Amino acid sequence: MLSAARGLAAATATRRSFLSATGAAAALALTGTLPGLVPTGAPTPTNRPLFTLGVASGDPLPDAVVIWTRLAPGPLEPFGGLDDRPIDVDWEVAEDESFGRVVRRGKATARPEYAHSVHVDVRGLRSWRHYFYRFRARGQISPTGRTRTAPAPHDLPAMTLAVASCQAFYDGFYTAYQDVARRDHDVVLFLGDYIYEVGVGPTAGIRNQPVPIDFAGEIFTLDEYRARYALHKTDPDLQAAHAASAWVVTLDDHEVEGNWSGDISEDGLPEPEFLVRRANGFRAYWEHMPLRLDQSADGPSIRLHRHLRFGRTADLSVLDTRQFRDDQPGDGGWLPPDQVSQDPARTITGAEQEHWLLDTLRRSPSRWNVVAQQVAMAQLDRKTGPDLELPMDTWNGYAASRDRVLHGVRDRGVDNFVVLTGDLHRSVAADLRLDFSDPSAPVVGSEFVTTSISSGKDGVDVDATGRALLAENPHVKYQNVQRGYLSCRLDADRWTSQFRVVDKVTTRGGTPSTRASLVVENGRPGIHQV
Amino acid sequence: MKRVIALLGAVPLLVVPAVAHSNVKHHDIELSATPQPVEVVPLPCFPSGRLTLGMTNAGRKPVVADMRVSGEDPLVLSRRQLSSYLPVEQLVTAPLDVTVPRGTAPGSFTVDLAVGRETHKASVVVKPVPPKGPGDNLLLGEQAVASSTHGNMKLCGGVDGNTDSEQWGASGWHDATKGVFPDTYGVDFTAPATVGRITLQTLDSARYPAAAMGVRDVDVRVRTGDTWTTVGQIRGNVQGLREVTFAPVAADSVQVVVLDSNDHGYSRIIELEAFSN
Repeated sequence: MLSAARGLAAATATRRSFLSATGAAAALALTGTLPGLVPTGAPTPTNRPLFTLGVASGDPLPDAVVIWTRLAPGPLEPFGGLDDRPIDVDWEVAEDESFGRVVRRGKATARPEYAHSVHVDVRGLRSWRHYFYRFRARGQISPTGRTRTAPAPHDLPAMTLAVASCQAFYDGFYTAYQDVARRDHDVVLFLGDYIYEVGVGPTAGIRNQPVPIDFAGEIFTLDEYRARYALHKTDPDLQAAHAASAWVVTLDDHEVEGNWSGDISEDGLPEPEFLVRRANGFRAYWEHMPLRLDQSADGPSIRLHRHLRFGRTADLSVLDTRQFRDDQPGDGGWLPPDQVSQDPARTITGAEQEHWLLDTLRRSPSRWNVVAQQVAMAQLDRKTGPDLELPMDTWNGYAASRDRVLHGVRDRGVDNFVVLTGDLHRSVAADLRLDFSDPSAPVVGSEFVTTSISSGKDGVDVDATGRALLAENPHVKYQNVQRGYLSCRLDADRWTSQFRVVDKVTTRGGTPSTRASLVVENGRPGIHQV
Repeated sequence: MKRVIALLGAVPLLVVPAVAHSNVKHHDIELSATPQPVEVVPLPCFPSGRLTLGMTNAGRKPVVADMRVSGEDPLVLSRRQLSSYLPVEQLVTAPLDVTVPRGTAPGSFTVDLAVGRETHKASVVVKPVPPKGPGDNLLLGEQAVASSTHGNMKLCGGVDGNTDSEQWGASGWHDATKGVFPDTYGVDFTAPATVGRITLQTLDSARYPAAAMGVRDVDVRVRTGDTWTTVGQIRGNVQGLREVTFAPVAADSVQVVVLDSNDHGYSRIIELEAFSN
């Protein structure tokens, strides 16, 4: 067996040659070169490119991974430009990017009732190795994707994670995803706000690209949610990041409606109408993500909280803090804590998910116990002085829920507890203390909040809120308000989070760099600067 | 390598169906469109005909349905698809806006709705263009032209025939450049029209009175060929309705140039009208 270090080196080499063949630019090349299968002539309704939305893979297991694509010759047209007939799709998985050593192949059906998406749960693979995959339909070959299975159950290899969230199409270019694809990540975690439900203007905000008038309004129906995913997935940088790594995804509010809570619409839709909208949002989400059938929507219900194990390196618990939460205090903005936010009966996870999470953490044999979820868990006070003002759409508005989880982690002896978070459009690193008002209270874990990919436009290094967060919260170790993502490396001894930021996203060609590199040592709770 | 070949030999290539759900029986879905008929006027800024499309699941289990929407030529439809989750016995609706090109002759046309084999027809009646003779508003429904339009407002909002400031959000216009003046709003005629009187109605509701939110300083002008002529100047306005009269001219365009508003933010117009006398 390869040592962890040699394994990483091999992965990097594979990565490099993969990129040389299928980099961001090539991700738009929509036809392959199998003999006799090259379409000729100008595109017609029947031979327009089918693979306009790229490919993706996700939820790796030691012997399996989901591969995904969606056929859409007219991605922004009704029904993606297709009629209501199912389409046969061949798929293959190989050890090499030239598909000389195919280890699995098969046939799937792209069905109109699932927007001609294809989800194949490829089984029988070897653990912790890279594979290449592609699809073929109507004589066209998809771009090639690269993925990686999870490590074998007893192995403890070093691994790399990218963590991303919040990609408002109209606010910025996805330059950060070029960096995600360029650096070698075994897994990409996406923690919510893949789309936004509000209207996209006729020139797509800063992108200055024409968008059909159909996209101008807020979305409610399934066709509208589908079209919104398609619009985002036409972006070549996003396609490149999907094609480069396995993704593990969960949703937050904007995949349905800003600040929705459980069965409650923040737009004031009556519950029956909101549940239809939620069902439409969930359905389109599954259709466009590399998820297993277990995660498909059953009407207004979806099971996104799930557990993935990466050998003994990491146990990953993915949460859904939207579907089962009580309503936020106030409108979910920054408010002083009150009886509602402190109410011991309130929950952000629901009782079932909370129990599942603590039980999953208790059983973990892994070095790193990782929770991938949506909204900030650490107390974040932005008001100068002794009074508090907290973001009520986050765990800060559900203090008892947070207490139960953090005390549960302590009581079950869970060590090396790391929470990964999105939502804030701001990078934050914070120690998770049993009592945030007491700087001497035990640290039971660490939280790394990734900033947005594009939401909020260029941003700044530090703003008034950021200064207040650093001044008022001794457990907050770092903050930044630029766009970017988290690039993490974890091994037996150390967790390293690199906060990658892009100097500008409102124009193309921004430059990524590491703004901070923070470390958690094995067995030593708390975040340290390198 | 050996291990992979062994696996390939031992395990048949695995195909997992993309979906494992039972087929939907679409004949249990009732389709609807209201009102019937819906009326449209073949002018670019006349309010569109709005149909409310509906699907009701009359079956026993929730389903997801994809409706195809198509219209007879020359109807222009705002959507050609309506897909939704449908709980049992719950009407699910979405709007369909119908327009027709300028010059379309009056008549009746059909919009077809189809979910699987279930179909429904909706009627669209194209009305004649309103008269544009003496005493008629020459700008009604004509193509508006603005220096900019705010994302929450409609370009056509100032020439759509709705003068009710209480319906400002649905039927008004303002620019996109807060605190930056001048802003322009008007109409380019398709053929020269004789204009001798122009009325400007700015936002003036109980909640947002003109004295606080309306336009304050405005030049009113008409274009003949390449030449703009200022036919009226309004200064220090605090009223909802202002009128400018002048010797009638054959105009190619009518325009207001808003130099300032009472809140110094946006240029808010609920309706701009022009008459021959």
